[in-house]
Amino acid sequence: MSHFGQTGIARRQFLYGLGSSIGAVALSSMLQASPTPGTVARLSARAKACIFLCMEGGPSQMDTFDPKPKLNAMHLKSFTEDNENLALARRGNRRMIGSPFQFRPVGDSGIQMCEHFEHLAGVADDLCIYHGCQADAVDHPSALYHLNTGNRFGGDPAIGSWVNYGLGSENENLPGYIVLSELAFPQGGSGNWSNGFLPAAYQGTPLRASGTPILDLSPPAWKTRRHQRKNLDLLNQMNRRHQHQHPGHDDLDARIENYELAFRMQAEVPGLLDLGQESQQTLAAYGLDNPKTESFGRRCLYARRMIEMGVRFVQVFSGGWDSHDYIERAHRERIYSVDKPVTALIQDLKTRGLLDETLIVWTGEFGRTPDNQLRGGGVAVGRDHNADAMVIMMAGGGVKAGHTVGATDEIGNTAVEVVHPMKDFHVTLLRLLGLDDNKLTYFHGGRFKQLSQTGGEVIKELIA
Amino acid sequence: MNKREKTRLFLTLLLLVGFTQAILASDETAADEAEQLFAVQVLPLLKTKCFGCHGDDPEGDLKGNLDVRNRAALLRGGESGKPSIVPGKAEKSLLVKAILWEDLEMPPKINDRLTAAQVTSVQQWIAAGAPWPDEKIIRRYQEEDRQRASTESVRVITSGGTTEEWTNRPYKRENLWALRPVQVSEPPSGADHPVDAFLQQRLAEKGLVAARPADRVTLIRRATYDLTGLPPSPEEVASFVSDQSDDAWMKVINRLLESPRYGEQWGRHWLDVVRYSDTSGYSNDFERSNAWRYRDYVVRSFNSDKPYDQFVTEQIAGDELDPDNPEMLIAVGFLRMGPWEHTGMSNEHSDRQNWLDDVTNSVGQAFLSTALRCCRCHDHKFDPIPTVDYYRFQAVFATTQLAERAVRFLDGENLDHFKEGKSRLFELWNQAKADVASLDAKETAAGKKWAEEKGIPFVPRTFQNSEVPEEQKPPRAIGLDHTEEGFRKVRKQDVRIWGRRLERYEPMAQSVYNGGNYYPKSIYLRMPEKPLQVNKAKEMPVTFVLDGGSLFAKKQKVDPGTPSSIPAGIVGSSNPATGPGHPIPTGFSGRRRQLAAWIANPDNPLATRSIVNRIWQYHFGQGIAANPNNFGATGARPTHPDLLDWLANRFVADGWSFKQMHRLVMTSAAYQRRSAHPDLARSMEVDPDNLLLAYFSPRRLAAEEIRDSMLAVSSELNMEVGGLPIHPEINLDEALRPRMIQFSLAPAYQPDRTPAQRNRRSVYVYRSRGLLDPMLNVFNQPQTEDSCERRDSSNITPQVFTLLNSDSSIDRSIAFAQRLEREAGSLSEQIELAFQLVYQRRPQRSELKLLKQHYLQMVIHHLQTPPRRKVPPIHLDRSLVEELSGRVFSYKERLDVYEDYQHHVKPWDVTAATRAMADLCLILVNSNEFIYVY
Repeated sequence: MSHFGQTGIARRQFLYGLGSSIGAVALSSMLQASPTPGTVARLSARAKACIFLCMEGGPSQMDTFDPKPKLNAMHLKSFTEDNENLALARRGNRRMIGSPFQFRPVGDSGIQMCEHFEHLAGVADDLCIYHGCQADAVDHPSALYHLNTGNRFGGDPAIGSWVNYGLGSENENLPGYIVLSELAFPQGGSGNWSNGFLPAAYQGTPLRASGTPILDLSPPAWKTRRHQRKNLDLLNQMNRRHQHQHPGHDDLDARIENYELAFRMQAEVPGLLDLGQESQQTLAAYGLDNPKTESFGRRCLYARRMIEMGVRFVQVFSGGWDSHDYIERAHRERIYSVDKPVTALIQDLKTRGLLDETLIVWTGEFGRTPDNQLRGGGVAVGRDHNADAMVIMMAGGGVKAGHTVGATDEIGNTAVEVVHPMKDFHVTLLRLLGLDDNKLTYFHGGRFKQLSQTGGEVIKELIA
Repeated sequence: MNKREKTRLFLTLLLLVGFTQAILASDETAADEAEQLFAVQVLPLLKTKCFGCHGDDPEGDLKGNLDVRNRAALLRGGESGKPSIVPGKAEKSLLVKAILWEDLEMPPKINDRLTAAQVTSVQQWIAAGAPWPDEKIIRRYQEEDRQRASTESVRVITSGGTTEEWTNRPYKRENLWALRPVQVSEPPSGADHPVDAFLQQRLAEKGLVAARPADRVTLIRRATYDLTGLPPSPEEVASFVSDQSDDAWMKVINRLLESPRYGEQWGRHWLDVVRYSDTSGYSNDFERSNAWRYRDYVVRSFNSDKPYDQFVTEQIAGDELDPDNPEMLIAVGFLRMGPWEHTGMSNEHSDRQNWLDDVTNSVGQAFLSTALRCCRCHDHKFDPIPTVDYYRFQAVFATTQLAERAVRFLDGENLDHFKEGKSRLFELWNQAKADVASLDAKETAAGKKWAEEKGIPFVPRTFQNSEVPEEQKPPRAIGLDHTEEGFRKVRKQDVRIWGRRLERYEPMAQSVYNGGNYYPKSIYLRMPEKPLQVNKAKEMPVTFVLDGGSLFAKKQKVDPGTPSSIPAGIVGSSNPATGPGHPIPTGFSGRRRQLAAWIANPDNPLATRSIVNRIWQYHFGQGIAANPNNFGATGARPTHPDLLDWLANRFVADGWSFKQMHRLVMTSAAYQRRSAHPDLARSMEVDPDNLLLAYFSPRRLAAEEIRDSMLAVSSELNMEVGGLPIHPEINLDEALRPRMIQFSLAPAYQPDRTPAQRNRRSVYVYRSRGLLDPMLNVFNQPQTEDSCERRDSSNITPQVFTLLNSDSSIDRSIAFAQRLEREAGSLSEQIELAFQLVYQRRPQRSELKLLKQHYLQMVIHHLQTPPRRKVPPIHLDRSLVEELSGRVFSYKERLDVYEDYQHHVKPWDVTAATRAMADLCLILVNSNEFIYVY
C-alpha cells in the first residue's frame, strides 16, 4: 500500500499520474519553495479520508434542519424588495414562504430534522449540524466553484486536489481523488474538480458508474489483454533503445513507467465498481432496490469501497436541489433520494470501524431565501438562492457528533451565531484531515496559494 | 532624451536608502544601535507581521490574549503565562521560538513568514536588551534611515499607498529590474552571433562548454515543430540534408516563416495568453458565436508579421482607432476573452466589476507581464504598485461596454460551410420552437377548459398577470405532466442555444464600444444605436478605489492613469509622481487608445521585455525571465538581463517584427545545439535546469501538436485556414455526457459530419469552457479561466489511455496504415516510410526485424479476434431531475449529425493485415521518440 512520506519525489513520480515536468525550471523552483507532496507536516487528526456529498442547487436550510415557526406564521405575506445589491431575481414583489414540512427533535441529542429524514434520524447522534456558514456568490457555478475550490471564479485546485497534495496517495494504482457525478455534470463542469495550478496528477477523476469507469481505460474488445501486453512490450523495447541515446533526459523514464502503470490500472480499476462481493442486505441498506434511491445509494456505496481501497477524497454529487417552486414536492423527493443512502453510508463505515477516520460532509453551494419571487405568472411556493444562510451536515472524522452549531435568524434569512465565511469551513475541513491551510501551500503566480485564498480560521465548535 | 539620460532620471527618481545595520557609524553606542535596530527593523516587522492579530483588531480581539504593541505587554506575554521576550536572552524568548516556527508557528501563513535576516534582527534586538524607545526617538531613527543613501535598496516614488510605511518602503534593486529603462549595450566579444556572445559570457563564467551543433535531421524537426507545430515531410528533410549551400538553414527558416502554418502555431501561443474560448463559461456557458473571427485575426496578424506595437494597439483600442474598419472591431475581442456572464441570477453591479477586474489584470499580464490582481484589495505586497494605481488603470476601461456588434465580413475571412451549418441549426432551432409552442398550446387549452368549468374568464399566467389572485388563474403548467413540463423547459433553453449559435453566420463580432453602464444580460449584449443618448447609458461611469476590493466600500474617486512606478519619458504617460506626460482623457472615448499608446511604446520597458521574453520562451522552452506573466519581485529574475534588453532594443529597431526576431534567435548557435551535454555530470552539477543553454532542452509536444502530427502522418490533415470552429470526434462518452447549464442540459457535443472538416488543425477546434476535449486536456491544453504563461508538460497516466486506447488514436492508426499500404510496396518499405514520417529517419536493421516480427504476430491475432462494428446513436435518452417536481424525467435528444454521418475508416472496414500494420503505427505515435522534440 502506502509509500508516501519516506520515498521522496523520485519514487513519487510514478504514482498515479504524478509525472515529471520537462524544462524543469518551474518544477524545481516549485519544489524548493513548496513542500514535497505528501510531506506537509500532518497535525494530529482522526480523519484520513473524506467523502464529500455535494447537493447541487442549494438545499433549503429551513426545510431540512432549521425549523422556523415565525416564518411559517408569515406564509405568503407580500412585500417589495428594492435592494440594488441583490441579484436581479431577488428584487421586486415577493412573498414570504413557510416550510411545508413538520420537524421533530431526534436522537439523544435532539437535533432538529424535517419529517422526511426518516432514516437519518437513526444516526442523529453521529451528526454535527452547522448553521453558521455563509457563502459568497449567488449563482450556481460561481458558488459551486467557491464551495469546491475556494475561488468563485474557478481555476484553482479543488479541495480534493489539495487534500491529495497534502496527504499523498494510499494506493499507487488508483487516483486519489474520485468524483461520482449525478446523471449530468454540475454547472461549471470539470472546473469543480480541477487541479488548478497543482500538478495535473491531483485532478479529480470522474468515474462513470456504467461502461468503462475512466475514459479510454481499456482498449476495444478486439484488442485482448495479451495483445495489449505484446504491443506494450514492443513499445517498451523501442523506448528503451531511444532512452539509451538520450541519457540524462529523465522524462523518458517517467513516460515508460506510465505505460506499465496504465496496464496495471486496466486490471485494477474496474474492481472498484464491482458490487458482486456486497451482500443483498448491504445493497438494500443503501437503497439500491428502489429506483428513487438507487442512483445516489449506488454512488455512496462506491464511495465506501473507494475509501477502503485507499482513495483519499471521494466527491458524490446529488442534483436537483434548486427548488424555486413547488418546494414541498421537490425537496421531499430530494430528501427521500439521499436519506437512506447517507444513513447507510454512516452506519456501514461505523460497522467497519472506518467512520472515525472518514470525514463525511453534506452540503450545497448555498442556502435558500425565506421568501420567493413571483414566477410563472403568479405566486410560487419555493425559494431563491441565499448566500447568507445555509446548512452543512457532517459526520465521522473527528467532528463534534450529536451537536447543532450556530444559528440563523428567526426566519432563516441570515446566519447570526457562530457565523463564518465559507473559507473558514474549508480551513476546518482541512484541519479535520490533519492539514493546516496556512501550511498547505503551493507557490504559483508570485505567491504561496492556499485553499482559503488568504487564510481563515478553524471553526473550533465543529471539532470534537 | 537619450537612453542614458533616462537611466539617470530613473535613478534620481529613487530615493536611495540604506537599511542595513552594517552602515551604522562605529562611534554610536551599543544601546543606540539596538534602539536604531528596533526603530528601523524590528518595529516595522512587528507592525506588519504581528499587530494584525495581536493588537490592532478594531474590536479589540487579541489572539492568544497576547498584545505586542509595547514592551510591557511583551514582557507580560499571552495566555501561556510566559513572557514573550526575555531581554538579553533571545533563545529563551517565546517570540523568537514562534518566528523560528519552533513549537509555535508565527506568523501562521507561509506567505508572511519571516526571512532568516528578519529573524536575526529580532534576536539581536532581544539580545541587546530589547529596548523600546519613545515615539520621538523612533521617528528620528526612521527619518535618518530614510535619508541615508545606499546602493543596496531603493525607494520608489508612486502615487502613494494606503499607509505611510508602504509608500516609503525600500525595494531591493534587483527586484525592480523590469521597471528600469531598457539598457543599451553592445554584445560582448567572443562570438559572431550577438545572442551567442551574451550566452557565451555566462557559460564561460561557469566554466561550461557548449554542446556541439545538432545534426540536420534534428535541426529541421526542431525548427518545423517550433514554427509550424507539425513534423517536416520526408522531402523537406531530404532537401535540407542534401543542401550544400551556405544559407541552407536560413532557407529552411524563411520557408517555414512564409508558410500559413506559422500563424496557426504562433497564433496559438498568443491565444493561450489571452485565454481564447468560444464560450463564456458560468451557468449557461453561452456561445460566443463570433469569437472565431478574433482567433483568425490573431492567426492573420502573425502570418502577415504585423508589427507588435500595432497588434497591441488594435487589441486594446481598435474600435477607437478606426471604428469603420471591421478588423479593428474584431481585434478588441481581446477585451472579451475572459469568462463572464450576467444573468438574472446575479447582480449587475458586481458582474460589471468582475469584468473590470478581469480586464485590468488581463491587460497587465498579457502586455506588461505584471499581475495586477492582488492590488484590487491592497497595495501590492512586493511590487511598487499601490491599490490606487490599480483603480486608475481600471478607470481606463470604465467607459468600455461589451456588445456583439454588427461587423461586416472581410475579404480574407473563411466563410465556407456557412450554408450547410446555417440550415442545420435553423432546422434545430425551428424544431425546438415548435416543441415549445405545442406544449404552450396544450397548457393554454387546458387552462381555458379550467376557466370555462369555473365559469370565469381565462387569464393566462403571464408575467403581467403575476399579481392577479391565484384563484382567478389556472394552475401552473395545467394540462402538462411533469415530463412535459420539464421537457418544455429544456426546449426553451434549446431555443436560446440554437438561436445564439445561429449568430455564428451573422456579420457580427464579440466587440466593445464606449458608453455609460447599462447592464444588459449577457444573452442580449447589443450596442444601443446611439449609446450616448440612451438614457440609462448617458451617465459617465465613475471609478472609485474599492477598499478591500469590495463594491460596498467605495473610497476616493480616481481618474484613469497608468501605473506610477513606471518611469516617465514614455509618451502618453500620465503619472502624478513622475510628470504629467499626456494624461489619459476622462471623457467617454480615447481612454484605451491613450493606454495602448503608452504600452506599445519603445520606451515602455515592461512591454518590450515582455514580448521578447515570450518569443524566447517559445523557442527555448523557458523564458530569459522564467515567469512571462510576472516580472515582479515574486517572479523569476532574468538569467541574462543584458541579453533580454539587447533583444528588446533590437525588436523595436527591427520594426517590432516577430519574424525578424525568429530569424535572429534561430540562427544563433544556441538554438542549433544538440540536446544533450557532452559532460552530463558537470552540466547537471553546475546548471541542472540548463538555464545557461549549454545544450538545447528537449520538449514534449503540446497537445495540439500531437493531434495535428497524428493527422499529418496519416495524411488526413486538412490544411484549410480559418473560419467557423471545427468539431473533431472526441471521446464519445464525454461528448454525450449530460452537462448541467442553467435550467437545462446542454445539447450533446456532436462532431462535424465530414472527415475533412473534423481533420483540420487543432487551433480551429471549438473551445468550450464547459466541455474540455479530454485528449487535449490530459496533454495540458490550458483551461481558459486564467492567462497561461507557459504550458505544463506533465506525464500523467490518463495520457496513456487516450493515446493508446481511444477511438481517435485507433482511427488515426488505421488511416496511417492505409497510407503506408498505398504509398509503399513491401512490408520493409512500409515500415521505412512510417519511420521517415514519424521519426524523420530510417529504421535500423534490428528495428526493422523487430517490427516485422511483431507485425506477423499481430496479423495472426487480428485474424483470431475480429472487431465488432460499433456505431454512434442517433438518439439519446436523457434524464434530468426536474427541479420543480424533484422527480427524474426523461426525454429523447436527437443527434442529427449521426443521421447522415461520414465515418472515418474503421477497424472493421479493413483487413487483419491492415489492423496489424495499424498496431505498429499506434506504437510509433505512442513512442518517446515521437512525443519529444530534440
